[in-house]
Amino acid sequence: MRLARDLGRRKLRSTLTITGIAIGIMALVVFGSMANKMNALIGGGSKYYADKDIVSIGNMYSGNFQPLSLSDVAKIEAVDGVAAASPSIEMMLDDKEATSMGMPEMIGGFVPGGDKGLESFRLDVSTGRKLTADDHGNVAVLGCDLARSKNASVGGKITLRGVDFTVVGILAPTLTAPDKEAMMPLDAAQQLFMKTLPPIIQANLKASDIATSIVVYPKEGVSPETLKTRLEAALGSSYTVMDGKDFDAMLGSISIIFSLVLTGVAMLSLLVGGLSTINTMAMAVAERTREIGIKRAIGASRWRIRREVVAESAAIGFIAGAIGLLIGAAMTVFFNDLGRASGNVLFELTLGTSVTALVFATGLGAVAGFVPAWHASRLDPVTALRYE
Amino acid sequence: MAILKGLNLRKTYSKGHRNSVEALKGVEITIDKGEMVAIMGPSGSGKSTLMHILGLLHAPDANHGPVPELYFGGQNVASLSDDARTKIRARRMGFVFQDYNLVPTLTAAENVMLACEYAGTTGGKAKAAAIEALGLVGLVDRAGHKPVELSGGEQQRVAIARALVNKPEIVLADEPTGNLDSERSAEVLALLRQFNREHGQTIVLVTHDSEVGEACDRVIKMRDGRIRDDGGRAGLPAMAAPAVAMPAPAVAMPA
Repeated sequence: MRLARDLGRRKLRSTLTITGIAIGIMALVVFGSMANKMNALIGGGSKYYADKDIVSIGNMYSGNFQPLSLSDVAKIEAVDGVAAASPSIEMMLDDKEATSMGMPEMIGGFVPGGDKGLESFRLDVSTGRKLTADDHGNVAVLGCDLARSKNASVGGKITLRGVDFTVVGILAPTLTAPDKEAMMPLDAAQQLFMKTLPPIIQANLKASDIATSIVVYPKEGVSPETLKTRLEAALGSSYTVMDGKDFDAMLGSISIIFSLVLTGVAMLSLLVGGLSTINTMAMAVAERTREIGIKRAIGASRWRIRREVVAESAAIGFIAGAIGLLIGAAMTVFFNDLGRASGNVLFELTLGTSVTALVFATGLGAVAGFVPAWHASRLDPVTALRYE
Repeated sequence: MAILKGLNLRKTYSKGHRNSVEALKGVEITIDKGEMVAIMGPSGSGKSTLMHILGLLHAPDANHGPVPELYFGGQNVASLSDDARTKIRARRMGFVFQDYNLVPTLTAAENVMLACEYAGTTGGKAKAAAIEALGLVGLVDRAGHKPVELSGGEQQRVAIARALVNKPEIVLADEPTGNLDSERSAEVLALLRQFNREHGQTIVLVTHDSEVGEACDRVIKMRDGRIRDDGGRAGLPAMAAPAVAMPAPAVAMPA
């Protein structure tokens, strides 16, 4: 292959240029995989929240949060268009783990069957069993990542917020929030949650009466948005009602900023790689001035000279892209394996990201070849032949 | 029959502000089909410039004075576009240079094939043509060697094979023996002479070497950008009696 021989003429320079782009592509692959994972996480949430409303008082992140009373369930069920209202407790597994990449580990308490079969987000167990309406007290079903990080297995014990639980099931991977969640009957979660509240508040509450949120399923033909309006009217302004759109608005912007920052970093390194390719090809053209003169003299058209330079430049990009993709893929696999132990699977390399990286690298190489190619094609054959 | 005929060929090279060289000051030249012609003259006489114009590497100046004309196979090619001139060079002309000018990364056969590709022949056909051309110059066994693995004489023979592979109407050679010792020079010259005799190949060569000149059918002598002696072919400047009307020189065709 002639092209490969031309690339091999200046091994050091070709290698350096290829390395430059490969690093950029590697960054693109790694950060791209990270954004994929993030988007899968958010996508999962978006899907979960799409067909329901969540009622709470205040919210957990803004500080004015208050627990709901189970009597609120009856109030909600009385609203026209409500098919089911299921109280739940959502809390951090560990208060200290507030800042981590991706989702934090969570405890979720719920009433099995409280959704009356309306929940469309399917959760399956890979081992053991799901929770049933007959389960009460300290039994738990663990998300796959949580089970791995806590080294828990079905039939074994796990300590959650200082209390021992029997593991009855482990969930199949969902790539989203439930992977890091411990699910338990509502009454067990109520006990755990009660202990996190200040004593003065505890004094006025009964553990068996509290919930952090109530999941509301609309009747068929009633949209979550319509129901949200009715719920707000019925419950009053101290309650917060969120539908799928609110969730998307809250997390969608985070996702966009995240993607932009990652893409920006990757693009910056690719810009450097691209400039280095222009330099390499400009040098190659200068060195081969005489050769281009020969080719022009014996009948190579300007178009053909341009094509040769651009093809060589694109080949540099393609090779660099393939190398960068391989290293990037290896890194995501390596760090995922490393992170799995602690339940932090941060990367998801998709076919789309791989193809994009490769096409982008090749395109970058080709574009970087344009200016040197144009210059080469404008050389006067006679002058070029005399060039030493 | 004239294969190449030029009238009012002028060329001025500007080498910067207020510094230009009038390399060709109005030349009339005719090359007949089947001729082997040498263009001779001292450095700066304009012989290379004339060669570049005849080989369509440069266009003659047309911005002042009488309109230049250059006929190749009956077609006026004096003012063709770069692309059109390139196409003619690729398909109908062959070039041999003083410095061999082979592409260093390509083997002898690939160098010859390059000329085929530019002329529109590719793949197996190009390869077969290249091997055949290398056979004509006696280098089939060197087909897979790169230029650095070949001697100067061998490189120049590869260049001749490259010039001949498309069976061009004319071969233009710029100091083809300039870098060779006398023995290799004689070999290369004999080779060109042989193609001229056996295949009626029209050859124009620029040379300093009077021995090369003597081996040709005709010598055109140049000085100061003009033709001083066209070796007995028609070239009376300006008067333009049609060259075809003049008796063609007796070229010994039989081998």
